[in-house]
Amino acid sequence: MKKTYRRSFDQIAEIVADTERFFAAEHLDPGLRMKVDLSLEELFVNMVTYNTETDRDIQLEMRRVTGGVEVCLTDYDVERFDPTIERQVDIDAPLAKRVPGGLGLYLVLKMADSIHYEYHDRVSKITFRNIVAEGTAADHV
Amino acid sequence: MFDIDFNDSGQVVVSGRLDAAQAPRARQFFDAINGGCAVDMSGLDYISSAGLGVLLSTHKRLMAGKSGLELVNVNPHIRDIFRYSGFDRLFVIRPA
Repeated sequence: MKKTYRRSFDQIAEIVADTERFFAAEHLDPGLRMKVDLSLEELFVNMVTYNTETDRDIQLEMRRVTGGVEVCLTDYDVERFDPTIERQVDIDAPLAKRVPGGLGLYLVLKMADSIHYEYHDRVSKITFRNIVAEGTAADHV
Repeated sequence: MFDIDFNDSGQVVVSGRLDAAQAPRARQFFDAINGGCAVDMSGLDYISSAGLGVLLSTHKRLMAGKSGLELVNVNPHIRDIFRYSGFDRLFVIRPA
């Protein structure tokens, strides 16, 4: 599956619908959906929110791999931003010290079984995979 | 599809997908709440960091007044997200 989306949160519903169709067509384990949806949304939202110097569409590619799915998001004409760099989020902090924000990319790194970032000629490309663990059902995040 | 409303017991009922596109609507609803309340999540299928942010900011505001949110009927998928986020230490969470 290969498709482009406008730089708008309104596109999330369409991305979810396309993901659902892809999972059904490829008979992928529905237990992977939560992880894929979460990582995909967080990365897409991050691109829309912070890569504001461009108005080009964001490209999504999804393909079946052994045991799961590979998802690739490509953003054109943008500055380098590597989401795979570990971000410090103190999830043990008490309520008074917790602030909204910062959890998105932290969760992506928790959810993805592998994640890879490339940047060339102002093109930012993030690829992640979610794989069903051998002998188990991916029915929990 | 996301929905949020009160039920007959005065609980907030959320259902569907609470993502970045729906978070502003959830925030507007929670901003109008001024006392502690339970949030029934039995129909909530999905939550992203945008939705977590709404819950966190609401809970902080209400806890300042010695109340807060209680999250009830939380399904295992959502509970896992709460656990990864450390929310299981910040909220009273009751599983489905």
